[in-house]
Amino acid sequence: MLLPHFEFHEPTTVSEACEIMGRLREKARPIAGGTDLIVNMKKNLIRPDHVVSLAKIDDLKGIVRENGLLEIGACVTAAEIAGSDAVEKKFAALAQGARVLGSPLIRNLATISGNVVSARPAADLPPPLMAYGARAVLMKTSGERSVDLNDFFKAPGKTVMDPDEILTRIVIEAPQGHYGDSYVKLGLRQTFEISLVNVAAFISLDGSDGPISKARVILGSVGPTPIRSQSAEDVLGGQMPSEPLFARAGEAAAGDAQPIDDFRGSAEYRRDMVAVLTRRALNMALKRAGSR
Amino acid sequence: MKRLIRLNVNDKIYEIAVEPNRTLADVIREEIGLTGTKKGCEVGECGTCTVILDGKTVNSCLVLAVQADGKTILTIEGLETDQGLHPIQQSFVEKGAVQCGFCTSGMILSAKSLLDQNPDADEKEIRSAISGNLCRCTGYQKIVEAIASVKDRGPIS
Repeated sequence: MLLPHFEFHEPTTVSEACEIMGRLREKARPIAGGTDLIVNMKKNLIRPDHVVSLAKIDDLKGIVRENGLLEIGACVTAAEIAGSDAVEKKFAALAQGARVLGSPLIRNLATISGNVVSARPAADLPPPLMAYGARAVLMKTSGERSVDLNDFFKAPGKTVMDPDEILTRIVIEAPQGHYGDSYVKLGLRQTFEISLVNVAAFISLDGSDGPISKARVILGSVGPTPIRSQSAEDVLGGQMPSEPLFARAGEAAAGDAQPIDDFRGSAEYRRDMVAVLTRRALNMALKRAGSR
Repeated sequence: MKRLIRLNVNDKIYEIAVEPNRTLADVIREEIGLTGTKKGCEVGECGTCTVILDGKTVNSCLVLAVQADGKTILTIEGLETDQGLHPIQQSFVEKGAVQCGFCTSGMILSAKSLLDQNPDADEKEIRSAISGNLCRCTGYQKIVEAIASVKDRGPIS
């Protein structure tokens, strides 16, 4: 499989990368891990004249926790996220997502920015990130903006990003108090699988055994973008956590799903599984909330 | 336009002028001439092109050669020493974990990466570590047995 010809750029600073993207716009694509971009170029789905590598920009590397924020640089790989103590301790759902992304080989290359920017409906990192209310920091020559990931995805492969923008980092406000989070993925195989359905859940409790003060339920693979299930969150808000409540939230989430039929599974099956996985994800989140 | 890149492959330095659209897999096979690295699916699904890049296993079909500039690469050819086959290679031979052989290079490199980090890996960890490497002959059982039995040989050099 041959890659089309392109010019290769290797900026060493974010501003240099922005300058190149600002000049070339649609003609250029940034490359971080490349596991999506190179495949799409080999399949001739995209043919950029210029490829702009972000790999030599030190500012885009590393996971930093300070001032109540977790900041993950664009070039941080899924393997680095999966192996990070800072992530595992406070953001278990994100660690879970990173551990099931692709294969070990892919996880060593694939980056958080690529997994977000490619906007695949079944991607493993956006649902947990959205459950925490994570924001994407976008940069171009005229300045920086930060977008809530819940407003970031438009359609498969489509986001709110401008052609000259670069995603520099993902920022998550560290949750406080009694909160629990989880990510559940259902595929036909155990590993190296595209989700049939995935669900990320986040709940925070008012006191260690109090009612649910805040809930987030994100459904992946059952719509053109990950979906925030408002109905499930409405069921959960202000209520005491319980198995019947979580079952009701699961049913509500199934109502919000917009699954398709394809060779992996029918829409009906997917919808049923949204209910099951949401209940499981909430149970797991509650367990974690109880241990914090 | 071609770029001059410098690769350390199996402890040997190569300086090669490459087009940006050449993958690391292509350059290893065609420029450096090490054909132990195979090309199967070429889209990161089969793992036959596995190499260890700066200590991490990757699909070399998904890495541009220009991205590997300045990096250290271990291919299957780098495992064998003057003393003979690497213990993992030896184990694959003895346990019948090699049939057509096409997946073997990648499989062994994934196994090496696992055992370097976790010499006591259990079966589940072994299966997970090779989950990016497809084998269409063995049904994986003999491969898993081969990797598991390396642990009994003592430290791996």
